[in-house]
Amino acid sequence: MLIMRHELLLIAITVILLLVEIFLPGDKKSRVITLAILLMTAVLILGFVPGPSGTLFGGMYQTTALISMLKNILNIGALIVMIQSADWLRKPENKEKISEYYILLLSTLIGMQYMLSSGDFLMFYLGLELATIPLAALAAFERFKEKSAEAGVKFIFSSALSSGILLYGLSMIYGTTGTLYFAEVGPAFTGTPLQVLGFIFFFAGMAFKISLVPFHLWTADVYEGAPVNISSYLSVVSKGAAAFILTILLFTVFSKIALMWSNVLYIIIILTITMGNLFAIRQQNLKRFLAFSSIAQAGFILLGIIGQSQYGMTTVIYFVLVYIFSNLGAFGVVSIISNRTGCETINDYDGLYRTNPRLAMMMMLSLFSLAGIPPVAGFFGKFFLFAAAANHGLYILVLIAIINTIISLYYYLLVIKAMFLNRSDRPIPKFKSDFYTSLGLILCLAGIFAVGIASTIFEAINGLSFGLY
Amino acid sequence: MFSNYIFYFLSALALYSSVMVLLSKKPIHSVLYLTLTFFAIGGHYILLNAQFLAIVHIIVYAGAIMVLFLFTVMLLNLNKEERSPKPIWVKAAAILAGIMLGLVLIGVFRGYDLRLIQHPMESQIGLVKELGKILYRDYMLPFEVSSILFLTAMVGAVLLGKKEQI
Amino acid sequence: MLIFKTILASAILLLSLVVAMYSTLIERKIAGFFQDRLGPNRAGPWGLLQPLADGIKLFFKEEFMPNTADKFLYILGPSLTMLIACLTSAVIPWGPDIVINGQVFSLQMADVNIGILYIFAIVSIGVYGIMIGGWASNNKYALLGAVRASSQMISYELAMSLSIITIVMMSGSLSMRDIVNQQQGFNWNIWYQPLGFIIFLICAFAETNRSPFDLPECETELVGGYHTEYSSMKLGFYLFSEYINMFISGAVMATLFLGGYHFPFIDKLGLSPNAFAFVSFLVLFAKITFFGFIFMWVRWTLPRFRYDQLMRLGWKALIPLAILNVLITGVVILLNQ
Repeated sequence: MLIMRHELLLIAITVILLLVEIFLPGDKKSRVITLAILLMTAVLILGFVPGPSGTLFGGMYQTTALISMLKNILNIGALIVMIQSADWLRKPENKEKISEYYILLLSTLIGMQYMLSSGDFLMFYLGLELATIPLAALAAFERFKEKSAEAGVKFIFSSALSSGILLYGLSMIYGTTGTLYFAEVGPAFTGTPLQVLGFIFFFAGMAFKISLVPFHLWTADVYEGAPVNISSYLSVVSKGAAAFILTILLFTVFSKIALMWSNVLYIIIILTITMGNLFAIRQQNLKRFLAFSSIAQAGFILLGIIGQSQYGMTTVIYFVLVYIFSNLGAFGVVSIISNRTGCETINDYDGLYRTNPRLAMMMMLSLFSLAGIPPVAGFFGKFFLFAAAANHGLYILVLIAIINTIISLYYYLLVIKAMFLNRSDRPIPKFKSDFYTSLGLILCLAGIFAVGIASTIFEAINGLSFGLY
Repeated sequence: MFSNYIFYFLSALALYSSVMVLLSKKPIHSVLYLTLTFFAIGGHYILLNAQFLAIVHIIVYAGAIMVLFLFTVMLLNLNKEERSPKPIWVKAAAILAGIMLGLVLIGVFRGYDLRLIQHPMESQIGLVKELGKILYRDYMLPFEVSSILFLTAMVGAVLLGKKEQI
Repeated sequence: MLIFKTILASAILLLSLVVAMYSTLIERKIAGFFQDRLGPNRAGPWGLLQPLADGIKLFFKEEFMPNTADKFLYILGPSLTMLIACLTSAVIPWGPDIVINGQVFSLQMADVNIGILYIFAIVSIGVYGIMIGGWASNNKYALLGAVRASSQMISYELAMSLSIITIVMMSGSLSMRDIVNQQQGFNWNIWYQPLGFIIFLICAFAETNRSPFDLPECETELVGGYHTEYSSMKLGFYLFSEYINMFISGAVMATLFLGGYHFPFIDKLGLSPNAFAFVSFLVLFAKITFFGFIFMWVRWTLPRFRYDQLMRLGWKALIPLAILNVLITGVVILLNQ
């Protein structure tokens, strides 16, 4: 029971929300927001209570201190998204669908946690599906907007395709090793051509989920069409979970072909960072802009994996943690402005500092953190990632990454310039944020600074991580 | 020996009908060919002495999912083939990619002696009693987690089915 | 053995065809009775030759095919319907074992250990014939009929399966023979599962497209529904398969809920095995006839559902009731352990 505490708690609150939805009279539906946030906060806090590690169900489920910590990180991200969506959910057209929103969001979280805790590929796949399918419904949440419906359809198609590819790869691995358990696949995975092909299919499936180039084509369209909060959830929590499990699997199950997958990663990193950055420059819509920026960030995450060391895994986790706060900060501002005014392009943000100085500051700090400018946490995140790759001797790769960081600085600064320097005849009107909106942004802000300054966090992650050597 | 012939027949049928799913001009024909594919695969299950799986396969896929497919295709009345003609370079790229993937697959499987992969075949595994035991003992967790998956899929369907609030 | 199976198969096929044939006559007679008129009485004594006359008429009618129809599917539709209708009888135990020359023969075509699921599978693919035929006619009425048929079938299949699950839970087997053998004497499942029986009965009406669920062919709205464009023997196949389905679903209901060929005290009569088998078969046949009568009785008394009522009944009444039934059965079984 206690070993599976994270998932069981989440399932419990999902069921509570389901029952509340059934028995709550229609005019009181908006209370669900507070209830859901409170319940999730409780789950988050309970998740930090140290509990036993071990395996269950004959090795199908496993948890360690590391996995528990990863789950907590995901919980933090999910909680912030839940808080940030409060304002948007209160809109009259969404009032009827509040509980569904939270139930689906929580069930994807359950899926991710089962995926992280999986001890065999079957559970891994089930978790992955549970983390994906409800997201398609959420992407199509505003179904009567054409873009949102389009986003849902594109997401379900691309994820179904990627799941299919992944399953095909897994079937090859199963066929050659005769088992699905991670503990048994690892030793049996000797790197025969068929196994390598299976791995490549598996990796392609995962690359879809993390949106690495060349499997990134769905990202921008889905992020643009989906509700802003769902886009932020997709870009942060969903991507983070997939990156975590990919790291773990590459370091354990596929450790014997580390030479091969690091070559694959090498090329994909260069492609992903460069393409993501170059396309981000051209975007006018902020959601698309953040989508491409998140593609580039995914490439940076891989830098830690290619480091192959314990330090590398630490940097991956640390960077995702930082990325959660900074990206949610940026998306948070975009979502507030999009909710209140419907403006989503960079030009609309002209002169934001004059009317809404706090939002503009928040946006600036988040973008600084995404770009990696000291003293915010993003700088440390990226610095450590580069160090992890450089420790492995990949100097050219690090050089390319640094050049790309400079490119990215350019387009992040474009937005900041628009907010602070540009003048506009029709600036975004001044408005007051309600409690949840401010809370969501303050949490992000605190995270951006705290994670960067408190070195104990990095030490704690490092203490739990493991590497190939 | 006799079952070998049936195996080849069913495989040929499955391959033929799944190719026809792609080649058919009318969507309805595609759907019907897909149904035929499912029947062929159901036949394979029977060959493996997995009657329960075979019949459930037919009930779920042929009986429910494909009927819904057919229902949707009929309702939308997708009679004509409406495909925008693709530019030549897309076709060329697709053909090239297909050939390359085919070559890789051939290369990978050629070097592989498939007879090496031998897992003990339990002839009773497909019967409903054995299946139930395995499902509720060894695969308890995936079984329960998939029930959560279905529940959320249902919630998602309800969400998408809700009428617009004005 | 093989010879016996062949004979049995042909006998059952013949039986269902003859029964279906005469059901048409009986249906018209009953309709006449309900409407206070005589019904067909010209061909032969009491109109006994009427079905033959109808058959001959259908055979010699002009074979008409719409120009725009999808030729292959147009022919496939009725053929498939007929084929599937005839397939179900394979797993129904028609009587206890009989002994010929010291050899024991089972009066069941195939005692597969998943008999109930087999019936489900056949029922669930039964809609293909209607859908294919309705679509291939290239006629709006036919298409509407086909679409109605499919949504109706899918909706009612769920409740039907759920109502049978309780039977499976009680008997612990999916084999039809096991289920029948557990209903010796008067120990019929209907006494334990009255709710399940009612749900199943209603669903059986819907699955056979009989009134009050005959929306796919509802003549007041859709001319003839899915068979609007059909004529001659292809139309005959559609109409005929409906009666076969009625017969078979009567047999399934008798087997699952009314004890199949069991009846109190017939095993006390001291008959020889073969005579016993014959009497048992007659008992089963009587039960089937009883269901056939109910089918007709309902058809000539109740008005047709409206489409939204049909859907509401299926999804909001029958399925929750069936789930509740499963739940109660589960609890009772657990308590009795």
